[in-house]
Amino acid sequence: MCASPLEFLRAGPPPPRVALLPDALFFSRTVPVLAEAAPAEGAEPPPSVASQVELALEALAPFPLAQLYYGSYWREGAASAVVFAAYRRRFTAEQTALWAGSELVVPTFAVLLGAEVAAATSLLLTLPESLTLVHWADGAMPTGLWVHPFAPEATEEERAQVRQTLLRAVESRQIIDLTEPPAPLPRRHDSEMVFRSGAVTFRLPAGVLAQLDIRDKAELAQLRRAQKRDVLLWRVATVCVLAMAALILGEVALFGGGLWLTARRTLLTARTPLVEQIIAAQEVANRINDLSTRRLLPIEMVQAVANPKVLPNSVRFLRATTDGLYTLQVEAETAQAGDIGVYKNNLDSMPSCASVTIKNPRMQDNKSTFNLVVVFKPGGLKPSAPPPAAPSS
Amino acid sequence: MIRTLRAFFLARLLREKILLVALAVILAGLWASSLSGRALHFWGERKHTQAALAQQAHWLNSRLRVQAAAQQAASGFDPAKTLDSTRLLAAIGAVANDAGLKNYTSGESQDVSNGQFSVHALQFSVSKVEWGALKAFYYGLQAHSPYIGIEQCAVARDRANTTLLDVSMKISSVEILHGP
Repeated sequence: MCASPLEFLRAGPPPPRVALLPDALFFSRTVPVLAEAAPAEGAEPPPSVASQVELALEALAPFPLAQLYYGSYWREGAASAVVFAAYRRRFTAEQTALWAGSELVVPTFAVLLGAEVAAATSLLLTLPESLTLVHWADGAMPTGLWVHPFAPEATEEERAQVRQTLLRAVESRQIIDLTEPPAPLPRRHDSEMVFRSGAVTFRLPAGVLAQLDIRDKAELAQLRRAQKRDVLLWRVATVCVLAMAALILGEVALFGGGLWLTARRTLLTARTPLVEQIIAAQEVANRINDLSTRRLLPIEMVQAVANPKVLPNSVRFLRATTDGLYTLQVEAETAQAGDIGVYKNNLDSMPSCASVTIKNPRMQDNKSTFNLVVVFKPGGLKPSAPPPAAPSS
Repeated sequence: MIRTLRAFFLARLLREKILLVALAVILAGLWASSLSGRALHFWGERKHTQAALAQQAHWLNSRLRVQAAAQQAASGFDPAKTLDSTRLLAAIGAVANDAGLKNYTSGESQDVSNGQFSVHALQFSVSKVEWGALKAFYYGLQAHSPYIGIEQCAVARDRANTTLLDVSMKISSVEILHGP
């Protein structure tokens, strides 16, 4: 990592790890393939391109597939594919160990196949150990691939002669000369891998990359699964980071809300004395209003519920308390429990009563005690007139 | 920048990736839990404060109406006949004496005022009183209505003599401090 996190971020992502293997170790062929179009009704579907490639390799190679490192290059809709393979024993264990952690392991020429060129173009990659020629006849799929290895002691004349010989084999309107192997560029997205050599850019889509990689296919499938798992972990981490960004916004909003709430509470506190004055004034107004217009009539209430016409002889009052202007709560006892119901019915039939409720009836020492809540109708009771004064003697 | 971080993350060992993700999940979870708790508390406080402010606004808007209601209620009173706490106590004593009550006591006056009007209330208790004397006292008080009123009344049978009553009343009066 760079010296500081900022520099690390500014540096951008590193290029992907790609193992480019010497071209001379591979043999290559262009083989015809059937495109994976939808089969006609009743017809046998064509085998997949991968299967066709494996069948072609089995026919071409002197070794079984299990002893080969192989790959292929095929673009959607193309009628042919470039296949390439190498005998596994040509790579030492130390060499294959270096492939671990690589996103792509391919012969160098496999990258050249991704060049976007016009028809009748030849691309020459001249390296100290080999000369590679890729030719496109129609511009879509490479139609020829030749690799000529050089001995370490090969002279410039020999190299030039080989170059001329290879170029004579194809008809080229444009020849692109490359003198350095393609180098991977940092990936901007997962859908492709981009290489550059000199002024030429090679784009290899993700689907093509999977075909090109020469590693053991089971190992590759495992690698893809691990990559998917890693991407999933990355997405979970990204969601967490986004959630934390949202939480920061939440904290800011909560802080602002706290300031707003403090201001509201200050206003509430400032208004409280005035509001308390108004509430007190309202209470005074209510009580004055009650005194002037609505009178509590406790004696009339007691007289109403103790009227001999409604009160059974056995019922005795213990306590009577007013509750508001129209409610009387009575605690009473009787030696005959049946009289409680009679008494309630009598009170219910009184026109001045809005409701009668019997509560907590209980019995002790042959006496039944109960609470009675009588609610009178407003205006149901009239103030009784005081008895006339006795004449003075 | 995201691609850089992504490449950095993907280049880590699996256990480092799992550790980083676990840390991020735990941190986000704890933080979210804490924030949601505080947000809920804030929301409750906001609701409570808003309700209290709305209640205050209601009272402040009712200020003139309350004053008018008090003026209206007091308009039926003759200021000269209204009673302060001392006069209320004297009037109750006079009525009790006229009714023949003997064992009576009264509590301290509790006053509520809005600056223009006051309401004085005191607790009056009498024990061992006959029903007839109680009615006489009651009618005596009613004669002073609306200047004197009963706000609450409790009548209980005396434990020692079941023919007598123990009575407790909250009696109040209005005093007009300044003429309406």
